Amino acid sequence: MHAKLYKYRWQYAMIAPAVVLLLLFHYIPMAGIVVAFRDFRIGSSIWNSPWVGLDNFVFLREPQFWNVVRNTLYISVLKFLFGFPAPIILALLVNEVTRSTFKRFVQSVSYLPHFFSWIVVAYILQALLALDGGLVNGLIGKMGGEPVFFLGSTEWFRPVVVASGLWKETGWNAILYLAAIASIDPQLYEAAKVEGAGKLAQIRHITLPGLVPTISIVLILSIPSLITVGMDQIYPLTNPANIEVADVLDTYVLRSGLQQGYFGTATAVGLLSSVISLLLVLATNRMSRKLNGEGLW
Amino acid sequence: MVNAMKPDAKEIAYQGAIVLLLSLLCLSVLYPFLYMLAVSLNDGADAAKGGIYLWPRSFTLLNYEIVLGNEVIRHAYGITILRTALGTIGGLTVTFLAAYGLSCKGLPFRRAILVYVLITMLFSGGLVPFYIQLHNLGLINTFWVYIVPGLFSAWNMFVMMKFIAGLPEALIESAELDGAGPLRVMLTIVAPLSKPMLAALGLFTAVGHWNDWFAGAFFVTDQSLIPVQTFLQQLLTAQDLSAVLGSNNNQEALARGAQSQNITLMSIKMAVVMVSAIPILCVYPFLQKYFVQGMLVGSVKG
Repeated sequence: MHAKLYKYRWQYAMIAPAVVLLLLFHYIPMAGIVVAFRDFRIGSSIWNSPWVGLDNFVFLREPQFWNVVRNTLYISVLKFLFGFPAPIILALLVNEVTRSTFKRFVQSVSYLPHFFSWIVVAYILQALLALDGGLVNGLIGKMGGEPVFFLGSTEWFRPVVVASGLWKETGWNAILYLAAIASIDPQLYEAAKVEGAGKLAQIRHITLPGLVPTISIVLILSIPSLITVGMDQIYPLTNPANIEVADVLDTYVLRSGLQQGYFGTATAVGLLSSVISLLLVLATNRMSRKLNGEGLW
Repeated sequence: MVNAMKPDAKEIAYQGAIVLLLSLLCLSVLYPFLYMLAVSLNDGADAAKGGIYLWPRSFTLLNYEIVLGNEVIRHAYGITILRTALGTIGGLTVTFLAAYGLSCKGLPFRRAILVYVLITMLFSGGLVPFYIQLHNLGLINTFWVYIVPGLFSAWNMFVMMKFIAGLPEALIESAELDGAGPLRVMLTIVAPLSKPMLAALGLFTAVGHWNDWFAGAFFVTDQSLIPVQTFLQQLLTAQDLSAVLGSNNNQEALARGAQSQNITLMSIKMAVVMVSAIPILCVYPFLQKYFVQGMLVGSVKG
C-alpha cells in the first residue's frame, strides 16, 4: 500500500491544496453549525460558548420570519414562471432569423447583460426609474402624470425584480436552447416543408420536441435554487420602503447575523435553508434518475 | 436539388415581425447604457431638467474628471484589477492541478476524494459559520479574503475533469512510456490541449472577481481595501456627494464644479457606473466566443 501511495505522490501533491481549502472553507464552517445551538459571541470560541439547546430557533414563532419565507417563495416562483419560458421563446425567435449577421448580432447583444454585476443593474434601474431624475418619471411628468416611486414601493418591487432578472439573464440562458436547436437534423425540416407544414407547425412538431431533453434538464436543475433567490440581486434593491416584501431568507441571515450580531439565530436560519435545499437536491436527483435513467451525479 | 423559392408576402411579413421584435429587444439591452453615457457626459444641473434621451445636450467631461480624480475610486480600481488577476490565475492553477490529479484513474482513494468534493456542492454551513471561520483565520479585513476562499472551485474542477477525460489517451500514454512524470505530462500535453477550456473558465472566474461586491461589503471594513463594485454599492444608497468629492486630487475640477453648482448626485453616479462598465463593454466583443464556448462546456453534463 505504501508503495502504491508513493507511486502517486505527485497526484496527491496536486490535489492537496484543494483538499485543504475545502477543509478550511467548507468543512470547518459545516462543523461551525453548532453555533445554531450555542450562545456564541464574536471573540469567544465556537467550541466553548454555552449550549442553549433550541433557544436560537425561537424565530420559528415570529411572524416576521414567516413573512420572509413567504417573500422568498413568492419571488422565486414569480422569477421561475417568467424566467423559465423566456429563454426558450427567445431561442425560437432567434432561430427563425434567416440573415446570419443579424442573428449573430442579436445573440451578442442578448448575452451582454449577463456580464454586468447586479450593482450595475441597480444603477440602471435608478437611472430609468428614480423618483428624482429618472427617465421614466421624467416622461410621466411631461405627460402630466403623477410620478411613481418604482424603487421604493411594495407593489413595484416584485415586478422590478422579475423584469431586471429577465433583462440580465434571458439571453445567456438561451445559449443552451440555441445549441440544442442547432443539433436538430435539418432533414426533418426539409421533410416537413415537402409535406406542406408551415412555420408554426414546424416549431410545434420538430423544434419543440427537439428541445424537450434540454428543457427537462434545465427544469430539474432549477428546482434546488427555489429556496435561494439571489441575494446579489435583492440586496441592492432593498430599502426601508420596500423591505416588507423584499426581505428574503438570504438577506435576513445577512442582516441578523453579520449586521446585527445575532450569530446563533442567523446560523439557525441558514441551517434550516441549507437542509431544505439539500432535500430539494436529493429529491431532484431521484426524480432525474426516474425520468432520464441517470442522476445528476 | 435546391430550387430558390420566391419569398412570398407572408414569408416577408413573418421575417419582418421577428426582426422587429428582436431589434426592440436589443434596443432594451443597449439603450440604458446609451442613456447613462449621455447623462454622464452632460452638465448635471441641466440633465436634472430631463429631456436627455440619446446624446448630451450640454456636453461636459466634468463628471468624469471628478470621478477619476477621486483617490478612493482609483485605489478601488487597483484592488479590483489585482484581485481579478491573482484570483483568476491562482484559481485556475489550484483547480486545474486538482482536476488533473483526480483524472488519474488508478489513484487510490480517488472515489473518496471525489465524494469529499461533491459534498461541498450539496451542503454548506451557511454564511455565519463561514464568516466566523474567516475571522478565526485572520482573513477579515485583509486583501486575501478576496483570493484565498475562492481559489478552489468544485464546479470548475468537474468541468475540467470532464474535458480532460475527452482528451486523446494515446498522447498521454505515449508520453508516459517515454518516461515523462505526471508533472511533465500535465505541463507539456494536458495543459496545452486544455487551452480553450481554460480560457473559458478563466474568463468566468475573472468576471466573477470583477463583479463581486459582497466580500468587499461584508468581510472588509477598511475603505482602502474595497473593490470598485463595493464602492458602487456604497454610493448606490448615498444621499450626498461626500463619498466622491472627498479625497479628490483634481482640485481644479472640484472648484469648477463648486463654482457652477452643476454637479448632481445622479450625473456623478452615472459617470461612476460607466467607468466600471466601459472596460467590460470594450473587451466583450473580443472575448465573446470564449464565453459561449464556456457556457456549453460547463452545462453539458458528464
